[in-house]
Amino acid sequence: MSDQNSDNSKQENPGGLWARLRRPSGKSLGGLLAVGFMVGVLFWGGFNTALEATNTEKFCISCHEMYDNVYMEYKETIHYNNRTGVRATCPDCHVPKDWTHKMIRKVQASKELWGKMVGTIDTREKFEAKRLQLARNEWKRMKAADSRECRNCHSFESMNPEAQKQRARKQHEMAKEDNMTCIDCHKGIAHHKPEGMTDADEE
Amino acid sequence: MKKNLIAGAVGALLAIGTGSALAAAPDWSKVQGKDITAFYPGVSPLEWIQKGTEHGGARALKKGETCADCHSDEAGDMGKKMASGQKIEPSPIPGKAAFIPVKVQAAHDGENLYIRFSWKQPAASGAAKMDDKNPVKIAFMLESGGKVELADQAGCWATCHTDSRTMPGADDAKTKYVKGGSVAEGKFYDLYQWRSGENKGYNGYVADKRVMEGGNALVSAEGKKDGDNWSVVFTRKLAAGDGDVKLESGKAYNFGFAIHDDNAAGRFHHVSLGYKLGLDTDGHIKAAKQ
Repeated sequence: MSDQNSDNSKQENPGGLWARLRRPSGKSLGGLLAVGFMVGVLFWGGFNTALEATNTEKFCISCHEMYDNVYMEYKETIHYNNRTGVRATCPDCHVPKDWTHKMIRKVQASKELWGKMVGTIDTREKFEAKRLQLARNEWKRMKAADSRECRNCHSFESMNPEAQKQRARKQHEMAKEDNMTCIDCHKGIAHHKPEGMTDADEE
Repeated sequence: MKKNLIAGAVGALLAIGTGSALAAAPDWSKVQGKDITAFYPGVSPLEWIQKGTEHGGARALKKGETCADCHSDEAGDMGKKMASGQKIEPSPIPGKAAFIPVKVQAAHDGENLYIRFSWKQPAASGAAKMDDKNPVKIAFMLESGGKVELADQAGCWATCHTDSRTMPGADDAKTKYVKGGSVAEGKFYDLYQWRSGENKGYNGYVADKRVMEGGNALVSAEGKKDGDNWSVVFTRKLAAGDGDVKLESGKAYNFGFAIHDDNAAGRFHHVSLGYKLGLDTDGHIKAAKQ
């Protein structure tokens, strides 16, 4: 049925989109390629523009869940305000810079839209109740990536131990010896530490 | 000057004559000192320093680092955080001094150890007096050989516990103690204290509990306040009785001290980190033979 009918329908409607796409074009191959290239650039540019729009602090804190909780805590820290005037915003720490990892993270983050819709953390109480689990997810991601986002700005190689306080110097020496990664120690540097952490969280 | 010389000569003669009862303190102006900051410790007992979720240095402690390795330069800043209640102090005392810089000097003469603490009296907080008899008390502790767990690393913290008296919610009768404390096994801290109001020296120890009397090494403890400046000199025999750490030339001992300033009691004191006192050998504080 379908073959016959569809052939008929095509014949009945020769100007249909599908038919047009299937028909050889009267235009030159070069013209087609040029148009295709332009459309591709526009599409790709649009996609990336939209993607980058979601990669800003403004976007992150447009949700009150972020603005009221973690953003307020971050504003008290050195990553927000410091003597040198360098600021690390939400995506600097929480979204990978390179494209592949960024896309993977963005796809994962789409799950958060569902959380937003159903109101998983839409009150302070709900947020606090879930904070440990959320923090653990992020710590796990950071550790698996060898604190890649921290290392976009920081590295052992560029540290000057002489300029560090005694305690920091000692801790970094040990971290190097033991091949540790930034997030092993630097939990809670930009947001409050969750209640209920266990010794396993610090190992 | 002449008088001092005569007094010194008489003292020396007497010392020789009586075989030590009158110990001759060294000329402190010639004894090199070590500047150590005693700081307000808040609620940071042994259990707290080992808890990784609270204390970032717990990992370092596990690896064998000492408290002083990380904190000796910043003891005053730590005191500020705790005295102000910014960190681990649930009941801050307004006006409480955050830290006290103390000069510690030590020497020995083959028979006695002489140890002198000097510091400037900080401003009074004006808070209610916890110990109304004694405006100031100063104590030091010695431990030999690291037999007490963490003694080599944590100084007096090895005696300080979350359930010791004046800690939040603790029983008032529970004193300091060390894990597995036993004088017979050498697992104890030898304790010395001088109290300004009573003008009296105490020689006790901290084993399964703390006793203020029970040591036998203290010869004298003398303190005085000259203007705003305190100086307290302890003289103790190198030899030891029960409850004392025997001191020998060529060895270093775990050492820490605490000042109860401002009529304080219990945990509301200023403490030093753990250091080493060496007799004729290297230590943070070196007691050389005079």
